[in-house]
Amino acid sequence: MSPLLEAQSLSKRYGRDWVIRDLDFRLEAGEVVALLGPNGVGKTTLLRLLAGLIRASGGQIRRQGKVGLLANPPAFHRHFTGEENLSYALRLEGHTPRASTIAAALKAVGLPAGKPVLGYSSGMKKRLAMARLRLLRPEIWLLDEPEAALDAQGRELLEALILEARTSGGVVLATHDRDWVQRLATRTLELSPIT
Amino acid sequence: MPYALRHGLFAFGVWRRAFDVHAMTLLTRIFWLALRDLTLELRGRTGLLAAVFFLFTMLLILGLALGPNQDELRKAAPGVLWVALAFAGSLLAGRAFGLEVEDNTLDDLLLIPGSREWIYYGKLLFQLLLLLAVGLVLLFLTAGLFYLPLATLPGILVTLVLGSVGYASVSTFYAGMLARLRGREALLPLVLFPVVVPVILASVRATTLLMEGLPLGEVAEWWRLLLVFDVIYLTLCGLLFPYVLEG
Repeated sequence: MSPLLEAQSLSKRYGRDWVIRDLDFRLEAGEVVALLGPNGVGKTTLLRLLAGLIRASGGQIRRQGKVGLLANPPAFHRHFTGEENLSYALRLEGHTPRASTIAAALKAVGLPAGKPVLGYSSGMKKRLAMARLRLLRPEIWLLDEPEAALDAQGRELLEALILEARTSGGVVLATHDRDWVQRLATRTLELSPIT
Repeated sequence: MPYALRHGLFAFGVWRRAFDVHAMTLLTRIFWLALRDLTLELRGRTGLLAAVFFLFTMLLILGLALGPNQDELRKAAPGVLWVALAFAGSLLAGRAFGLEVEDNTLDDLLLIPGSREWIYYGKLLFQLLLLLAVGLVLLFLTAGLFYLPLATLPGILVTLVLGSVGYASVSTFYAGMLARLRGREALLPLVLFPVVVPVILASVRATTLLMEGLPLGEVAEWWRLLLVFDVIYLTLCGLLFPYVLEG
């Protein structure tokens, strides 16, 4: 079976500084790969490269399936409510969302209805991002420090989401929480600074 | 019916259906993106309020500077109308991607599967609707302050639509190109105006001929020219847009 994601000799540099150099990476269906390493080592850059949001300085990436990214911090239109943000996200992908589906998705992550995102805390935005990913159903899940800003209940929801994601695709997550990695990840990739 | 013909018709039907579905999805996306941006703009009101306030001030200053002679004011009306719209348009141009930059949501649009031309056309539709709304306000202000004859309104509306399409197609393209740069508000008019000069000039000429009461045949030459600019800008900008949007 072909991998969901395959990167060969992937490199990225900003000016003269290499952030990632000649990296080979594969993500198979059912895998949860944890990216580990100190701040500034290139975890977010690697996720953005894998998502196709930035151009690589060298190498190739092949993707088999839709990509979903949970950014840190997640971005939403602050003048819209949670429902409106989810509804437009689905509509722009060509779906026709039902109000009941959106309401159920919000309820599942414990968010109130009708509240503008302007009034959301960081943890609430993370929960809304989780609801969006669950509705969009990507095959390749890229999560950038997904546990940041989440409370204990939020973390439980996130763990359930990652386990759910494994059944329909593969997950790459950048994190600093090694205990959490031991419980969830099927494989780890330790990034180290390029000198 | 022979097998080959039946098979051919079936294949044609499948392809047509696939094309229809694809085209419908793109059109739907364009519509929803424009509607989403309009809703956001009306809730935030930043761009529209700034543009309308700017128009009032500019028309008032020009009116006082050129007045009070009615003939002089009427003669200046086409130029005032299009220069004011061009400047107000440059204020509005940044809104197409300003909404994404302010909320950091551009990545979400880029993650949507498929080609990215639809993002350009969705943003263009939003920009065009804003420009036409401001253009209509401006038209009536110019009629009031500069004696622009409203008897020529249908012709001026045609010019307004053709000129706005050309202007918005370029301004949306550059707004997307500069979206991630610092100082984009200052850079945008600098790169925009040299390219839209032909559109502004053709629009001023068409409006002047309409005001002078010349036959529509003569005005139509300028409309044809505007149409050619529109088609060229729309096609080129749409094709190039996915490349300029890449990080």
